[in-house]
Amino acid sequence: MKKDMTKLGMTLMLFASLACASLAVVYAFTKESIDKQSEIQLQASLKELFPQATAFEPIQDLVSPDPNIKFEAAYEVKSDMAPLGLAMKATGPSYGGAATLLVGIDLHRSIAGVRVMALNDTPGLGMNASSPTYYVDKTKKVTFLGQFNEKFLTDPFEVKKDVVAITAATISSRSLTKIIKLAGDAAIAYMDQKAISAPAENGASADAGTDANAQPQAGGK
Amino acid sequence: MSMKKLYSIFKQGIIFDNPLLMLMIGLCSAIAVTTNVSNGIGMGLAMTFVLLFSEIIISLFRKLIPSMIRIPIFIIVIAAFTTMVDLVMKAYFPDLSKSMGVFIPLIVVNCIIMGRVEAFASKQNLASVIADALGMGLGYTWVLIAIAAVRELLGNGTLAGIQIMPASYQPILFFILPPGGFFVFSLFISLNIWFKKRMEASARNRELVAKKEAA
Repeated sequence: MKKDMTKLGMTLMLFASLACASLAVVYAFTKESIDKQSEIQLQASLKELFPQATAFEPIQDLVSPDPNIKFEAAYEVKSDMAPLGLAMKATGPSYGGAATLLVGIDLHRSIAGVRVMALNDTPGLGMNASSPTYYVDKTKKVTFLGQFNEKFLTDPFEVKKDVVAITAATISSRSLTKIIKLAGDAAIAYMDQKAISAPAENGASADAGTDANAQPQAGGK
Repeated sequence: MSMKKLYSIFKQGIIFDNPLLMLMIGLCSAIAVTTNVSNGIGMGLAMTFVLLFSEIIISLFRKLIPSMIRIPIFIIVIAAFTTMVDLVMKAYFPDLSKSMGVFIPLIVVNCIIMGRVEAFASKQNLASVIADALGMGLGYTWVLIAIAAVRELLGNGTLAGIQIMPASYQPILFFILPPGGFFVFSLFISLNIWFKKRMEASARNRELVAKKEAA
């Protein structure tokens, strides 16, 4: 009996190690491409949030006050040395595991835009958060994340009050809203601390740019 | 092993022993991903890949796998191939991978693969196993695509993300939600049973006619 057990254990170990070895090979082959994809996605999203930006400078000393939500990266967005705002890559728990969002905050203390970096959720329901054709407001064509555009951080950010939830995905809607709010608040605290604000004459021109860009209006109350 | 025998194994999975419509296993992820045709295609291909390679490996090593620990070994093999599919999709089809979400990793616990490996691959030789995996995979894929097409067209007015219905069409959200999934699924199951009975009846008729002629 004892001999049997050892033999069975050894067989199982052999199969497991073979499987591990082959997985390691595939992982090594695909790792570079996966990293490249997420980097491309991040850069493209940063550009989308701040079209006039010329530089994204990483910030190191911005940490999350909530242990559940982490800031993987934060950038100070600049256009020819003039500040435009902050961009935060924040990861927090959601319905289907961790969700990573890129949140842009402009100098007027409002959301410049939100993009999904990584999200695991139910296809057709919670996954609609990242769908460009799922509208919480069909007549105005506002997507779930689109409703945060130009939203001020002084708003309550409460799902079903000032934030429209995704149909049949209230938990996901709440979690994502919480990540956005936390990243936004942290970014504003950072801006206040470093005294980053809109210079009077520059602010007007930067303003016009973001307005033209943010067609879908917020405030789906 | 004659070609004819292989073909009859292959054909089983498409209608007569269709994993979704006749064996009725692996339904949960099938209902979940069939909200969009491209998801249906992606899931079908991913599933066929995992099924094919798991069955091949299990069939090749079937004499070396002690029956007492066969289930853990099956799971290790299936999990390894599923993770490979997941990594490859993330690397080369990031959009598809994003829309499939958690259902690719969940192929590991899909009863179709477990069922075919346990009931078929662990007892048969390589050629019949390949025929079985391809037949079952194709049977799974066509059902996913057909159900996804009905649900997406009625529930969203699109096919694979392309607008088909006129703009005035008000999508019936019911079909995208799980109850609609069950509804369309049951329609397909009854259609398949009807079709199977008809085929069997015509086969019996042909036999009778042949017997009479012989007499």
